This record gives sequence, C-alpha cells and structure tokens, in this order.
Amino acid sequence: MASKFCRLLRPVVANFKRTRFLQQATVATQLCRNNTQSTGTTTEKRPTIRAPDTLMRKTLSEFGQYVAENLPKYVQQVQITNGDELDIMIHPDGILPVMSFLKDHHSCQFLNIVDLTAVDVPTRQYRFEIVYMLMSLKYNSRIKVKTYTDELTPIESVCSVFAGANWYEREIWDMFGVFFANHPDLRRILTDYGFEGHPFRKDFPLAGYVEVRYDDEAKRVVVEPLELAQEFRKFECSSPWETFPKYRQITDAEEVPINKEANKPQEKK
Amino acid sequence: MAGVSRKIVRCHTTGLTGLKVIKEPHEMLKVLYEKTLIALNKIPPTAAYRVNTEQIVRNRMQHVLTERDVQVLEEKIDGGQIEEVILQAQRELALARKMIEWKPWEPLVAQAPKNQWKWPI
Amino acid sequence: MASSRVAVVGSKQVKPILSANKTEAKRRVLNLYKAWYRHLPYMGLLKDLQLQSRVTWLSFVLNTVKDFDIAVTVPETKVKLRELFLKNKHVTDIRAIDLLVIKGQMDLVETMRIWKQKTHVMMFFKDTNIKKPTEFLTRFYEGHD
Repeated sequence: MASKFCRLLRPVVANFKRTRFLQQATVATQLCRNNTQSTGTTTEKRPTIRAPDTLMRKTLSEFGQYVAENLPKYVQQVQITNGDELDIMIHPDGILPVMSFLKDHHSCQFLNIVDLTAVDVPTRQYRFEIVYMLMSLKYNSRIKVKTYTDELTPIESVCSVFAGANWYEREIWDMFGVFFANHPDLRRILTDYGFEGHPFRKDFPLAGYVEVRYDDEAKRVVVEPLELAQEFRKFECSSPWETFPKYRQITDAEEVPINKEANKPQEKK
Repeated sequence: MAGVSRKIVRCHTTGLTGLKVIKEPHEMLKVLYEKTLIALNKIPPTAAYRVNTEQIVRNRMQHVLTERDVQVLEEKIDGGQIEEVILQAQRELALARKMIEWKPWEPLVAQAPKNQWKWPI
Repeated sequence: MASSRVAVVGSKQVKPILSANKTEAKRRVLNLYKAWYRHLPYMGLLKDLQLQSRVTWLSFVLNTVKDFDIAVTVPETKVKLRELFLKNKHVTDIRAIDLLVIKGQMDLVETMRIWKQKTHVMMFFKDTNIKKPTEFLTRFYEGHD
C-alpha cells in the first residue's frame, strides 16, 4: 500500500524538485546578469559574440610566462588569442621536451591530447604550422602548442608522449605530407590506396586530379584523369548582413612578454 | 557524511579505473620525491625548471613527512587522491631525468623566421 | 635519432629524413627496387591457363599463389616497375628521394598484404586511360562536341 502511494507521489515530487531547481537556476542567471552589468562596460550596446574574460586572460598569460620561463630553449613566443586561448609557439626541435613538460610537470598535467592538426600557409618559409591541442582535467584548462615545418623537414613524433597522437599524425602525413620521425606506424589513414598527392595542401586543386568510375568492360573500378564537363563556379560566401560589426576587423592575438633573463646564472656569485 | 562514506569506501577502491589503492603511500612518495630531488641536483641551480620543481616537491615532501593520516594529507597536498599524487610524482621523476638530457634552460635554439607567427598575413 | 644527424643538401645543412648522404639514399632506392622486383611474380595472373592449372597445386604448396586476379604478365610488371622508378630519376635532393622511398615502401606493404584491391594495382598500368582524340574529325567520330 505504502509503495503504491509512493509510486503515485513520485512524479509530483520529481516535478516539484525540478521547478525548485529551475527557480534556483533562474535566480543564479539573474545574479550573473546583474554582476556582468555592474562590472562590465555599460557603454557597449552593439551586439557582440562574447566579452573577453579578463581574469582568465590573466591566469593564462601567467601560466604562459611560467612555461616560457621553464623552457627558454624552445619557447619562441607566447600569446593569448581573441577567444582567450593560450598559444605557445615553439621551435620544432623542442616538441618532445615541451610536450613532456606540459604532460608530466606537477603544475601543468595536460594529460589529454585533444587534437593535432596542421595549417598550410604557402607564402611562409616553413609552410606548415603544426598545432597541438592539450587539455588538463586536473586544472580544467586547455593549451595550444604550435610549431612549424616544411615539406621535406621531418618533425619528431609525439607518440612516445601521447599515444593518442598516433592517428592524428597519420592524418597529417596523409593530408599534408609532413613526415613524422620515429612514428610507430606511419601510413595512410584517409585516402584510398594508390592515391597520389596530399589533399589539404593549398596547391592541391579543389576537384582533385583523378575521377573514379566503374568500368563494365574491365569489370572493376577504374581511375582516370579528371575531366570536368563544366568550369568550377565561384560562390560568394560572405553574408550581406553585418552580424557582428564589432568584429569587422580581426585584431591580432595579444603577445605575452617573456622574461628572457630568468635562467641566466647571476654574475655576482 | 560524504567524508565518512568515502573513508570506508577508500579502503577498497579509489573509484578510478585502473588505479589501485596503495597501502603505504607515505613510503612510496618519500622514495619518489627523494629520487626527484637527486635528479634535480644535476640541473644547474639557476634553471627555472629546477627552482620551480624543487619548490613543489619540497613542499609536498614536507606534508608527507609531517602528516600520517592519508585523508588529511590528501587535503593538504590538494592534488586529488593520494594514488593520483603518486602518479604525478612518478611522472615528474621521469620528466626530471629526461630534462637533464634535454637541457631546456639553455638560450633559445633559433628564432622563428620572420612572419612565421604572424596571422592574419 | 634523426634529430642529431645532419645531411647536406646543396650548400646548406638540413635535418635528414633517413639518409645522411647520397650513397645511403641510393642504397635505399636500390633496396626498394629489389624488394618490389622480388614481389612481382606473386602479384599477377598467369596468362597461360593450362599452365596455371598445372602449376596451381604446386604453387599452393610453395606458397606462390597469385595475390591479384589481374591480366598482367610478370615481364610486363617488370617493365612497369622500371618505368615508375625512372620517372623520378631527376630528383636529386636526398630528402625528396627519402620521401619517395618511404612512399614506395608503404605502397609495397599495401600491395603485399593485399590491402589493395585489383583496382588499386591496376592504377599503375592505367590501361583504361586511352588518349582522347584531338583532331576535329576524329573527335567528331568519337562523339565529342
């Protein structure tokens, strides 16, 4: 009898709880709103994507300086992007030391590799920018490590530090043709067997070089040079509406000053 | 309430996959921190890595030496459960040994080419 | 391993991929050529069906079963192999040679382990790539506009 009564009551109770929780939540958001209104700039009335988080920027820049101070041999630049993300730019020789430091040091503990990718900028001397994205569950924080290479310079594989980088590096090898030295199993991962070229390079045409079709005479799929029946169209992608006028111009990421005298032996002693 | 139940549970499990409860964490941590300090001794004393790491390790070592109760120790170190702290210590030790070879306190290897980090170009 | 070594390309010193000098690179190329050459007999289909039926049992025992059901003879594959290697004979940069060797090695593994299918092996031979006619009349006969 009692159990039956309970069963009857349960949805009511659950609903009650939910509404109470909702009320609390709305109160919380209200509080937040009040806070931001009182502390944030009140003059800003144009629509904006997000306000910069000054506290976050401060902690991140301090941490960036800490990393630069510990590894002055490899860190070239530290910056904080518009989206409040920390970038560490390093020399390609220092990939293993920097990644190991970020993973193993007590006050970093970036144990997860979130992503590893490359950017192709053909006008640069080293055209490929390799980007490592790490996450620290302990400190609820993320970091980006960037380095550079070109088509012929091998770059050290981080598989010995992060086993999860294995497939990401294979992907970069496949898509950009960047060779990773000491990778345990470097081979193609996305393109078809026999595919030639690296599709994510900027000099690789959008349509590719070959087309594939089933040939009834040969009784197999055949690969032939591409023949387009029509020229590629050019599409206008920019929106006619100005969605975020404040962000009309992309401002550069803010560079964090690095203390370069930190590791030098003091001459007085 | 939560602390008590956790204490009972903690005798059997850490609640984290693959992480076993360690009966004598103090001994283990002491050995690890001592080894780390020995490894750090081979690094020049002005190197920031040595200064910072020594500070952290000595601080933790101090807690390990003075506090016998595991639960209070965990709260003092504030690095998660004591088993996690041991893992962290093991990683730091391995890193310190590798750092001796890498010598990251030396001056910058080479500056990046001009415009390498400039974006948008 | 690779980071500590130095290779010389032209007048500048660079980080080598595999080989530190020309002779080493050449040795790698030759080794790859030989590896491919040894694998060729196992790849294609024997043209003579009678011979094949006689040989099948023996070849099965000797583990020389053909990997792919393709109508290419062994001499043809050898000619193609030579052609593909000579296609890159203008490459002089050690690192570029190394990259080509690495890609060739990966290709060989893909072929040997039969990750490739008939289609992919036949991509080397380009047997369906018939040159399109350029003359006006022949184009007209072919049905081009």
